[in-house]
Amino acid sequence: MKKGLTVLLVVGAVVLGIFFWFQSSYNKMVKMDEGVQASWSQVENVYQRRADLIPNLVATVKGYAQHEQQTLEGVISARSKATQITVDPENLTSEELTKYQKAQGELGAALGKLLAITENYPDLKANENFLALQSQLEGTENRIAVERNKYNESARNYNTTIRQFPKNIVAGMFGFEKKPYFEAQEGAEVAPKVEF
Amino acid sequence: MKFRLESKIRLYLALLLFFVAGVSFAQVPQRPNPPRLVNDFAGIFTGAQVMEMEGVLDAFADSTSNQIAVVTVPQLYGYDKAQLAYEIGEKWGVGQDKFDNGIVILVKPKTGSSKGEVFIATGYGLEGAVTDALARKVIERQMIPHFRENDYYSGVKAALNVLLPVISGEISTDEYSRGEEDDGLAAALAFLFCVIIFVCVLVALTSDKNQNIGGGNNRGGRNFTATDAFILGSILGNASGSRGRSSGGFGGGFGGGFGGGFGGFGGGSFGGGGAGGSW
Repeated sequence: MKKGLTVLLVVGAVVLGIFFWFQSSYNKMVKMDEGVQASWSQVENVYQRRADLIPNLVATVKGYAQHEQQTLEGVISARSKATQITVDPENLTSEELTKYQKAQGELGAALGKLLAITENYPDLKANENFLALQSQLEGTENRIAVERNKYNESARNYNTTIRQFPKNIVAGMFGFEKKPYFEAQEGAEVAPKVEF
Repeated sequence: MKFRLESKIRLYLALLLFFVAGVSFAQVPQRPNPPRLVNDFAGIFTGAQVMEMEGVLDAFADSTSNQIAVVTVPQLYGYDKAQLAYEIGEKWGVGQDKFDNGIVILVKPKTGSSKGEVFIATGYGLEGAVTDALARKVIERQMIPHFRENDYYSGVKAALNVLLPVISGEISTDEYSRGEEDDGLAAALAFLFCVIIFVCVLVALTSDKNQNIGGGNNRGGRNFTATDAFILGSILGNASGSRGRSSGGFGGGFGGGFGGGFGGFGGGSFGGGGAGGSW
């Protein structure tokens, strides 16, 4: 009788232990998943911030550089393409991220071209409004770099957790999937250089 | 044998990685200990100037909770100036955890062979007050004119004279961040003790049943066991509760050891905002 009770207690304790381990692993993954999604929305925020600066920038440049119609239109079309692509943070796949990154990269390249031609317009470079926009744009590029890094970091933490044994069992059971990273791209993703 | 060689190589690789990572981390200046707001690593201020600025910034941090760190460096350690200022702000945790209201003013003085560089990095919470455009203006109008004449102190002071009123207009509170309680741990401990109580009660009840089967009639003993288990359990439960609460104390600003001095960075976070300039 006493022996049976001990066995029962031990089995109960083990079952409870396993249950709590599952619970804590699962909750941790949910928390980390939310963290990755939050840092992804920060990434989208800062890219949106850049997109929001563009109409103002284009309008300012237009006043001084009417002959650069082609470059200006390039920026506008790249902007509209880039803002059309959004990624649902619940559904962060590697293809989606690549598409997003490519569109934003093209916008970055078009912006770089625009800022390069402004070098030829000394009046524009003396315009207070343009200078303010330029510093905001530079700050936004810095923010993009920071938020992308933060996203990559949280995705890396999350991926490490869900792929390690024995947590990968829990991850597999509940469908936690690997998150993609931002990759440094050649050329397209180089931030437009803003010199003062 | 092959396996052994492979694991050896792996060990070396891991050591190498660790070493490389350690070196690259060490490139950002370490958080000063004891904490200071003015860190003149480049040696461009006099002792009295450092004391004065530290006093002003410390009083400002005390009254408004905003933390402004002035950091001068002899070189950029291979970073971009924006990146270095950001890394310092983020790694040191300038500003309060709750408001992210830190600013890092980074100055690399001009030397014979290199340009002077300056960057004002803003924490998330102050991006609205000190916009990138404002930061650029302050650098171009207040700082660089003085810096060109090798007068770093006047430049930084002029910048602070503009920045302090703007910043205190945004966030002005003496509320300091408090560490969050680790609810998870407390809950887990509390639950564990519930389980212990349950087991104790179970044991007490079954032992009572055994006694009944045995024919003995020992009511006093049964009562004692069950109550005892309950008391024991509740004492332990209380202990776990208070333990969880006291662990909250660690998060909020560390030290505050020496009288009147700067109490320590609060763990503010940076998002890459700010502007820079060079001369």
